[in-house]
Amino acid sequence: MPDLGAQSKTTGKVTVLNPACSSSPVERAPLTPRTFSSLDGKTVFLVDIGWGGPKAGYDVLDIMQGWFARNIPSAKTVLVSKKGPFAQDDPDLWKRIKAEGDACIIGISC
Amino acid sequence: MSRYAKTLEQMGIPTAPCTAINVSEYVRGWNMLYESGMPLRYTTFPLPIAGTTREVHEGYVNGNDPLTGRPIMHQIVDALTRPLTREEQSTESAKGVLEPRLLPPATEEDLQELFRAKDWTDYLPVVLPTEERVAAMLKGTSHKPFEVVKTLAWPGGGRRLTVEKVAVSAVMAGAKPEYFPTILAMATMAPFGNSTTSMANMIIVNGPVRKEIGMNSGIGAMGPHNRANATIGRTFTLLSKSAGNLHAGVTTFGSLGSNLQYNNCCFAENEEALPAGWDPLSVQSGYKREDSVVTVATGWIYHSCVGELVTTYPPQLLIRDYMRSLTGMGSAALLCADPLVAGILCDQGFASKGQLAEWLSRNVRVPAGQYWGNGITITGVANLAAQGIEPFATWQKMPPDALIEPFNTPANINTVVVGGQTNTIWFITDFMVRKGVSIDSWR
Repeated sequence: MPDLGAQSKTTGKVTVLNPACSSSPVERAPLTPRTFSSLDGKTVFLVDIGWGGPKAGYDVLDIMQGWFARNIPSAKTVLVSKKGPFAQDDPDLWKRIKAEGDACIIGISC
Repeated sequence: MSRYAKTLEQMGIPTAPCTAINVSEYVRGWNMLYESGMPLRYTTFPLPIAGTTREVHEGYVNGNDPLTGRPIMHQIVDALTRPLTREEQSTESAKGVLEPRLLPPATEEDLQELFRAKDWTDYLPVVLPTEERVAAMLKGTSHKPFEVVKTLAWPGGGRRLTVEKVAVSAVMAGAKPEYFPTILAMATMAPFGNSTTSMANMIIVNGPVRKEIGMNSGIGAMGPHNRANATIGRTFTLLSKSAGNLHAGVTTFGSLGSNLQYNNCCFAENEEALPAGWDPLSVQSGYKREDSVVTVATGWIYHSCVGELVTTYPPQLLIRDYMRSLTGMGSAALLCADPLVAGILCDQGFASKGQLAEWLSRNVRVPAGQYWGNGITITGVANLAAQGIEPFATWQKMPPDALIEPFNTPANINTVVVGGQTNTIWFITDFMVRKGVSIDSWR
């Protein structure tokens, strides 16, 4: 293996290559404007992504649904599970939420 | 989950994503910068979410966000209704991190400290990658230094892993230039396994390259007794940490971590000691015996049989017994068997590795309750069961004490013959073998 080289012998310092790679952030995207100041009369989807199985995040969202019933009773809540494993997209569900909903709570990732 | 929330936001649906506290820093920082690009309004929950009671969940919902201290439900309503800030409306992208090819000159001691401070090492001393050393490593391949081996998709940032970057990590690990084609082939499978479940990798080399570079497939092949085994495996981790930017608590979240990640259990198969009719792992993967191939496997569990075989209990029965303690996730198992064990299995009537896999697939049975009692199984396949997908739907309907055969895909039950024939020892693991990669194409 080559030694540390002539530079080290003359200056006591070494130049080495950088093991890290340059990175490029993704394009910045804004949030959608909030057009209502309360959830009164709105339809809120509660979506379980399935992390931890069908009874983990779903149970938390089910309790949230009860909270809405007690605290914002005019809000309609729809509790659903996303299809497939947690990392599998579910475009049909997003279309349904767009068609039928006003807002969405989604979780819970770990 | 951020991509689902981003999709909904871009469809005009205000969305409140919820995450557990372990990844809260990641989703607001790294994930926002390199994956979603959107300043999503996250709410954070304590852990655990899975495997706990409804009373605990009620406490979370009625409690406070552990990061902000605000009531969780008020924060969620706020996330859906509060007008956007200027920052949240911004479309101005952040600038990328430009890493210079060379680091500023420094003393050897300061550079070792810098590499540790940057978390580019495994905290054992590294060989400093001087231009001369990297140039020497690059002579191990005909490929050009700036050729892109792979763009690292995880954890984002579009990191282009070039031949030269791989050479830098190979030098740091103490590898020789003749190992470099194997290392480049292995690098196409980078980075290492990354999960809160503390997974690990195993690296298996087949073909003529084993002898060419002096890899160990005999006595102590899976231990710290051979330079090629040690440094090829170590390179995988150094590469994942430095070029791949995987750092504990920032972009990797293995709760316990895995000691196997020091060199990723890198070894060569003892092809010369395979019983007649048993093919090397690479041949099972579709290559020819004269091809040199590296295979990366991913898993968690690593059991030793501990003692030698006894004549009253054939090895397949003990292997079956041990496999009952594996999760069966993906039907994955990898048997690492000393040639003496392979020979006895052959004498037992298993004329090929495939026949052994078929037998184990039919004979490893576990109670359904045990199968569904593991969180990785729940996360991985319980939702499939709920959607009626077989065999999971049937398994989930069975009583807890009913027996199922979780290793239902024999192709995912693999065997590697390794070791020096000093005892009838084997390890059973749950490592899932991925497709082998040609080393010859990286010469």
